[in-house]
Amino acid sequence: MEHRLDPWLILAVVGLLGASLPTLHSVSRVVGTNLLLRQSLWGITGLLILWLMSLVRLDIYERLATVLYGAGLAGLIAVLLFGVARGGNRAWIALGPITVQPSEFARISTILLAAAWIAHRSARNLRIHHAATTAAIVAFPVLLIILEPDMGVALTYVPILIAALWLGGLPRIVWVLLIICALIGATITWHYALKPYQKERIRTVVDPDRDPFGAGYQVRQSKIAVGSGGLSGHGLGQGSQSQLRFLPAQHTDFAFAVWAEATGFVGTTLLLLAYALLLARIANVALTTESRYGVVLVVLVGAWLTFQVVVNLGMVLGWLPTTGVTLPLFSYGGSSLISTCAALGVVQAVWRYRLVNQ
Amino acid sequence: MKLREDIGPLRRRTVVIFLLVFTALGLIHLRLVHLQLAHGAQWRNLAENNRLRRLPLPGPRGWIYDRRGEVLAENVPSWELLLFPDEATNLDETGLFLASEGITETKTFRELLAERRTGRQAPLVVGENLTWNQVAAVHSHQGDHPELSVVSRFRRHYPFASLAAHAVGHLRPISKAQVEANPDLEPDLMIGATGIEADQNAFLAGSSGERWMMVSAVGRQLGVVRETLPTSGHDLGSALDMRLQRAAAAALGDRSGGIVALDPRNGAVRVLYSSPSFDPAVFGGRLSRSDWQTLQEDPEHPLQNRCLQGVYPPGSTIKPFLALGGLNEGLIDEHTTVYCNGSIVLYGHRFRCWRRGGHGFVDLERALAESCDVYFYLLGQKLGIEGIARWLQLFGFGSKTGLDPPFESAGLIGTPEWSRRVRKTPWYPGEVVSVSIGQGPLLVTVVQLAQAFALLANGGHPVRPYLVPEDSEIPAPLEINPRYLERVKAALVEVVHGDHGTARRLSALPMAGKTGTAQVARLQEGVAADELASHLRHHAWFVGWAPLDKPEIVVAVIVEHGGDGSGSAAPVAGKVIEAYLGLGQEDNTIETSDVEAPTAGPFPSAEGG
Repeated sequence: MEHRLDPWLILAVVGLLGASLPTLHSVSRVVGTNLLLRQSLWGITGLLILWLMSLVRLDIYERLATVLYGAGLAGLIAVLLFGVARGGNRAWIALGPITVQPSEFARISTILLAAAWIAHRSARNLRIHHAATTAAIVAFPVLLIILEPDMGVALTYVPILIAALWLGGLPRIVWVLLIICALIGATITWHYALKPYQKERIRTVVDPDRDPFGAGYQVRQSKIAVGSGGLSGHGLGQGSQSQLRFLPAQHTDFAFAVWAEATGFVGTTLLLLAYALLLARIANVALTTESRYGVVLVVLVGAWLTFQVVVNLGMVLGWLPTTGVTLPLFSYGGSSLISTCAALGVVQAVWRYRLVNQ
Repeated sequence: MKLREDIGPLRRRTVVIFLLVFTALGLIHLRLVHLQLAHGAQWRNLAENNRLRRLPLPGPRGWIYDRRGEVLAENVPSWELLLFPDEATNLDETGLFLASEGITETKTFRELLAERRTGRQAPLVVGENLTWNQVAAVHSHQGDHPELSVVSRFRRHYPFASLAAHAVGHLRPISKAQVEANPDLEPDLMIGATGIEADQNAFLAGSSGERWMMVSAVGRQLGVVRETLPTSGHDLGSALDMRLQRAAAAALGDRSGGIVALDPRNGAVRVLYSSPSFDPAVFGGRLSRSDWQTLQEDPEHPLQNRCLQGVYPPGSTIKPFLALGGLNEGLIDEHTTVYCNGSIVLYGHRFRCWRRGGHGFVDLERALAESCDVYFYLLGQKLGIEGIARWLQLFGFGSKTGLDPPFESAGLIGTPEWSRRVRKTPWYPGEVVSVSIGQGPLLVTVVQLAQAFALLANGGHPVRPYLVPEDSEIPAPLEINPRYLERVKAALVEVVHGDHGTARRLSALPMAGKTGTAQVARLQEGVAADELASHLRHHAWFVGWAPLDKPEIVVAVIVEHGGDGSGSAAPVAGKVIEAYLGLGQEDNTIETSDVEAPTAGPFPSAEGG
């Protein structure tokens, strides 16, 4: 009998969680909360949600896309009105004992609607106003998230838009124009929108030694942690970088550095293989489904997850500036973990859809 | 089927996207090869030479001055030794090193580690007030003990030591509960424990800063990662007058007791001295606990503030207030005369006057000047216990004066209702007789008596005693007939200046007042008061004011087990008043500000001589 859930994808998810939990536990003392217990509960909930989301038929997602998108926007507006501020961002809403980050969930509904919109454009290339509509679908939630402000999460919407436009098809000349616009936009942003500390973060990527105790501090410490792991690492709970609190945000943004310090090249390779397996299985779903909607949906999820993995690891390894993008399925955080699992559940719904006799 | 036809371009574009995805993952893996395999040893070397420390920077506390600008509390530089426990390889070895250098005893060190609060990166203060030799010893062993760091900080210092210990107060380490309640507070913070230090803690305390710095494997500072600077607290001028305080302490000598002097015009407390006192330097640190344990176990209770916390029967010093009550209620007038033959039988008991032979015929003035007990037995009986309680409450007895509310006692005015509720025994009618001469269930503090006499001295205006000036409402004058007030004041002048006054040995000074002798134990027949064991002897009181025409200072003195008021307490008060008057007129005017530049000269009166 064909499996209803992809066992390889589940293996990758469980493997990543299995690496994440002991890593978080090893820094619990440093961070000062019991991360293991909370993240274990979120992990179990996440797997449950993954399974539940996979049970829903694909055409139901398609039909509900607009409603869910509206609900996502409503959540983002609600967080601006009644949100709980944490460290300067008003990104969380308190629901009883737990706090929820609506921007993590609005992303799934944005993907559902953008995919539906693209899948129904049957022409070879998108017309300009169709492309503009796609951009608008992504832009509304992004603008609301920028108001929070939570740049890390807002950035994760960018690959969704790019992948959607790519799948929908744009003439080459439009891509060239878009790249030129992006460059101009980046220049303007650099000169007028970025705060001095944000500029310093970008400068230190180019020149890592320019301010080792200031803006370059986090990345430098992260590189020391990763590099000192060597081939086989110090062992969990042993590395001086994580245990002596050199590393900032070691349970969230820099969780990978803790793992790298503890398990060395062997561990980081295994972890990368797990992400590769996960993305390969997502690619497999995208390339085998017969549904246009299914393809777009799965590719958008894959683009988003890849973006987060690449941007987070790029930051930890000193290639990209620090942005606050977390590592999916590995960094501490309930909302992020649940929303990632829910998105993978949607991927599995597409996987199951091939069993539906057409 | 349309769907199948349409999916072709989507598939091709999907393949492109996933090619990009796997290229990115491959590049990341190459980066890991570079960082972890090719250069792993270099990074490992850096990691081992890498220490990040958070150094709390305490905000300096404000200084405390007396009214003439003399320093009561200051900060002096001190070497402190910090331990960063996370960096230690073997804490037992660190403990041995500290013990061998005489910096911290092993037992104290273990207690410090056990009390350590996790969750916040704060170093432990394991050594204070280090000597140069100890600093040198730590520096020379820095390579073995990179977890130790000598820092220059401030220590609280009280230049007058035991002389102003109770008034100024001292510091204590902040409690664990307070740190937990407010995570912004540093665990090694010192806060005010008693006196002005506690009362004005919020004003005096600075706010802490912190410095994150990178240090090498041998504890050398490499660079500051970030820093928030501390802010200092405010300096504070108190109403105390150390010259008077010194005179008061000298007059009391090594006897136990308390002295309060205040300005009856505004309530400014000039003297607050409790004996025996202690050296607040004992509390200056966090580590020397054994020293203050001996203080706490001292049978003389040096930590107790006898001016504020000690409660005593007021004895005859209460009589002027009962006299005022009697006059105002019309129960007596200045001509009412009583015959005293040395004792009187009331409620079936014989109550004695202190003078065995009796005073003969006494009117109000003689009754106060010579302190006739029989006169007041009868007056107290007329007023009744409720009347007595009402009048005494009016003068501030039985409630806190507000000088230092968390620490001071309210005293006690025994009433039948109190007896039922608290003492759980019935009220004996005869007790009113004891209360009317300031014995029995009637307890006051020294500062309450000073406050009440200030009201007599200034003509009926209640004052609130204070050590630190603050804005507060001026209480309304009491509704007492000024004529009665003048009668009682005149009688208290007679106490000092009359031929038979109980404090006539002070008649050289322009002062008035009232002596008091408070029984500690009931006298057995045939035993003279001065033959009692020292801890059973009477407490001696004197409360008075000077100068006579415009009173500027009220002095209240208790000498514990000092015998009788005229013999032991009155001379002490006389010395304080003499010192005050010796300071000269221009020094004693009320200043607009209570702090002024130190005059730092001899007494102004020396100019004339």
